[in-house]
Amino acid sequence: MLLRQMRRILLIALIGGLLGATLVRMGPGFGIDEREMDNRLNSESRQAIRSERATENNIGVFYLRYLAGLARGDFGFSRSLNRPVSQLLKERLPLTLVSLAFGVLGGASTGLLLALLTVWWRAPGSDVVPAVLSGVCLALPAAVIALIFLWMGAGGRWAIALAVFPHVYRYAKNLLAATYQSPHVVAAQAKGLRGARVLFAHVFTPAAPQLAALAGIAVSLAFGASIPIEVICDTPGVGQLAWQAALDRDLPLLVTITVLVALMTLVVNSVADLALAAWRPAR
Amino acid sequence: MLRIVAALLVTFTLAAETGGELRFCLRTEPKTFNPLLVEDESSETIRYLTAGVLVRLNRYTQELEGELASKWKVAENGRRIDFDLRTNVSFSDGTPFTCEDVAYTIRQLMDPALHSPTGDAFRSAPGAMESKCTGTSSVMARFPGAVAALAAQFDQVGILSARSARKESAVLGPFMVGEYKAGSYIQLRRNPNYWKHDASGKKLPYLDSIRLEIQQNRELELLRFRRNQLDLVNKLDPEMYDRLAAEMPKSVIDAGPSLDWEVVFFNQVATSPLPDYKRQWFRSDAFRRAISEAINREDICRVVYRGHARPAIGPASVSNHFWLNASLKPAAYSVPSALTRLERDGFHRSGDTLLDRAGHKVEFSMITNAGNKLHERTLALIQQDLSKLGIQLNVVVLDFPSLIERISRSFNYESVLMAITNVDLDPNSQMNIWVSSADNHQWNPAQKTPETPWEAEMDKLMQAQNAAQDLNQRKAYFDRVQAIVWERAPVLFLVNPNALAAVSSNVKNVTPATLRPQIYWNAERLTIGGTLVSQR
Repeated sequence: MLLRQMRRILLIALIGGLLGATLVRMGPGFGIDEREMDNRLNSESRQAIRSERATENNIGVFYLRYLAGLARGDFGFSRSLNRPVSQLLKERLPLTLVSLAFGVLGGASTGLLLALLTVWWRAPGSDVVPAVLSGVCLALPAAVIALIFLWMGAGGRWAIALAVFPHVYRYAKNLLAATYQSPHVVAAQAKGLRGARVLFAHVFTPAAPQLAALAGIAVSLAFGASIPIEVICDTPGVGQLAWQAALDRDLPLLVTITVLVALMTLVVNSVADLALAAWRPAR
Repeated sequence: MLRIVAALLVTFTLAAETGGELRFCLRTEPKTFNPLLVEDESSETIRYLTAGVLVRLNRYTQELEGELASKWKVAENGRRIDFDLRTNVSFSDGTPFTCEDVAYTIRQLMDPALHSPTGDAFRSAPGAMESKCTGTSSVMARFPGAVAALAAQFDQVGILSARSARKESAVLGPFMVGEYKAGSYIQLRRNPNYWKHDASGKKLPYLDSIRLEIQQNRELELLRFRRNQLDLVNKLDPEMYDRLAAEMPKSVIDAGPSLDWEVVFFNQVATSPLPDYKRQWFRSDAFRRAISEAINREDICRVVYRGHARPAIGPASVSNHFWLNASLKPAAYSVPSALTRLERDGFHRSGDTLLDRAGHKVEFSMITNAGNKLHERTLALIQQDLSKLGIQLNVVVLDFPSLIERISRSFNYESVLMAITNVDLDPNSQMNIWVSSADNHQWNPAQKTPETPWEAEMDKLMQAQNAAQDLNQRKAYFDRVQAIVWERAPVLFLVNPNALAAVSSNVKNVTPATLRPQIYWNAERLTIGGTLVSQR
C-alpha cells in the first residue's frame, strides 16, 4: 500500500516536472545565453555556447537524458549558475524548508485558531477583525507583503505565514461554521452539550479530514509565496533559485524544482491522509 | 589641475592605520573563481581583487603599470611579448611564483576548448601559439596573429600556479577567497604573501578582509548602506543617487561619464520578417540620421538621468581620453533639420502623420528589456520626440532572453533600445561590433561580404587598427571609424550614463575613477576608519 502510494507520488511528480519543462521549452527566449552578447567572444566561442544549449532543444531527448541522470542521482547542470543542480539544492533547500515550515505551521495554526475562535464565539461582529485581516492579506500580493516585512526589518518566513494564513482561515471558518449547522451538532446541543466539547468532539473532529487536505495546498501556497518573498528579501533559498532559473530559462534547474515542489505537496498530502487513517480507527 | 592635486594627495604619506573589513555587495552569485573563465561582473570583481596580473591598467590615470612584470616588450608587430618578472614573489599558499606559472597560464588561456572571452581577445588569427621561459625570471609569448594593445590585454589575465595543489585558490593578488556561503556572502581575506609594499615599506593590502554580500535587490543594498551595514555601493542609479544625496550628501560620488552606452539601432537584416518598405526606411542613412536628430539627448540626460549622464557622441565615451575623436559632437537636436532630411528622402507629412514615398504611415516599434525604469522613461521621451515628426513609436517591453532572441536569432524586431557595457578603453574590444562579418554587428550581423561601401570601409579600418602597432596610427584609423558611425548612424548613441557610487566616510583613500571598478580599483590601499595613507 505504502509502496504503491510512493510510486504514484513519484510518477505524478515526474510528469509534473516534465510538463513544466515542455512549457519552458516552448516559451520565448529559450536556448538563449546572455554570454552571446559578450563582444569579446569570437564566433567559434559563440558557436560553442549555442551548441551547449542545443542539447536541450529536443525536449524528448532532454527528458530521456534527465531521467537517465535522475536514475544515477544526477539532477543535471545549471548553466546559468555554472554548478550542478544537486549542489545548488543542497546549499539552498535547508533554508527554504525552514522558511516553509515556519510559514505553513505559523500561517495554518493562526488561521485555524482564529477560525475556531470565531466559530466558537459566534457573537455578532466577532469575525470582523479576522475577516478584515485575512481579506487584507488575501488582497495583498506576496511581493507587497515581502516589501512591508523588508521595511520592518522582519524575516521573510513570517511573510510566508501571512500569505498562507488567509487561505486557511477562510476555508476553515466556512467549513467549521457549516459543520456547526449539521443535524448531529444541533442534536448534541439540544441534549445539553455546550462549548468546547461541542466544538472539538462534534465540529472539529468531523471536519478534520477536510482540514487535513489543506496541508498539501498550504505547502504549494507557501512555496509559491516564497518565490517573490525570497527574491525581494534576498534570501538565498530555493524560491530565489526558481526565479533565477525562470529568468534564465535554466531547464534542468526548473524541472528539478518543479519535481521537488510536486513531491513536497504530494508527500504532505499523503502524510496527512495516513495520519488521519491511523487516527480514525483509534477513535 | 585637479589631476595634479590628486597626484599630490596620493603621494602624500601619513601615518598608516590598517586593518578592518570592507563590506559591499555583488549583484549576482559569481559563476566561477577561475580567473581564465570569467564572464560575469561578480566573477570579474573576485578576479580583480584576488588574481595577480602581469600588468595593470591604472583606472585613474588610464596608464599601464607593471605588476608581476617589472618590464615588458612587444615585438614582431604585436605577435610577441616578453616579460621580465619580479622575483621573490609567492602565491597565497606559499608556492613560489616562477616564469613557468606565466607560461602555463598563457597556454591554458589559449586552449581553444576553453572558450574564454579573455583568451579570445588574444586570438586574432588561426594557428598555434607558443609560450615559454626565456630565463629564470623572464618569459615570452608568441601569438598566431598581431594582437592590438597586446600588453594591455594582460590586465585581464590572472596568473595561475602551475604547481600548487590548490589550483586557482592559490592567488597572487592582494586578497584570497576565505569563506564562501552560496547565495549569501564571500569573504576575501588578506593574502599574507602579497608582494606589494607602500612607500613606507608597510605590507599591502591595508584591509584585513573584504566581505562581499550577494544582494540582488538594489533597494535593500541602499537600505543596508544607510544603516551603515555596507561601506560602499559601487553602482547607483540616478534616482537612488539623488535620494541618497539628499540624506547623506558627503557619501555620494558622481565620477563622470562612464564608458557605457545607451543606444538605439534599427533592424537592417535582409532576411528579417519585416515588410520591405520598413526595411527600406531602416536602411536609409537619411532616415536614421533624422531619427537621431529628432531625439533630444539633453532631455534624456536631464529628465531620465537627473543630470547624471552626458549626450553620447559615438563608440568612444568622452571619458575615453585618448581614443575619443575630439572633432565630433553629439548629434544636434533639431526637428526642422530632421524633417528636411526626411523630405529629401521621399517622406512627407499628411496632417500630423509622416508618410513614406509609397504612402505608408511611418510607425514602428522599439523593444527594450523589462524591469529597466531608465529605459522605459527614455522610450517615453523618444516617443514624444518622434511624434513631432509625425512618427508613431510603439513601445514593447520584453524580458532579456526574449529580447536577445529577437535581435540575434529570429530578427523579429524593428528597433531596439539597449545598454551596452563597455569595459575596455581600447577599440579592439569593439571589433565584434563594427566588423560586418561579426555576430555582434547587431543591426545586420554576420554579413558574408559588406552590404554597404561604408561598412566595407569600416571593416578595413578596424582590421588596420588591429594590425598597426603605432598608437597614433591606430587612433587615426579609429577616428575615421567614429566619423563613419556619426555620419551613417547605424547605431544611435544616446547617452553615456555617469558612474555613480556611494562610499561611507569610514572608507579612506578612495579615488573614484570612471573605469570599472570605479571605487575599489585601488582596494589594496583602502582603509577603514583610519587616516589617509600613502597611495604609492
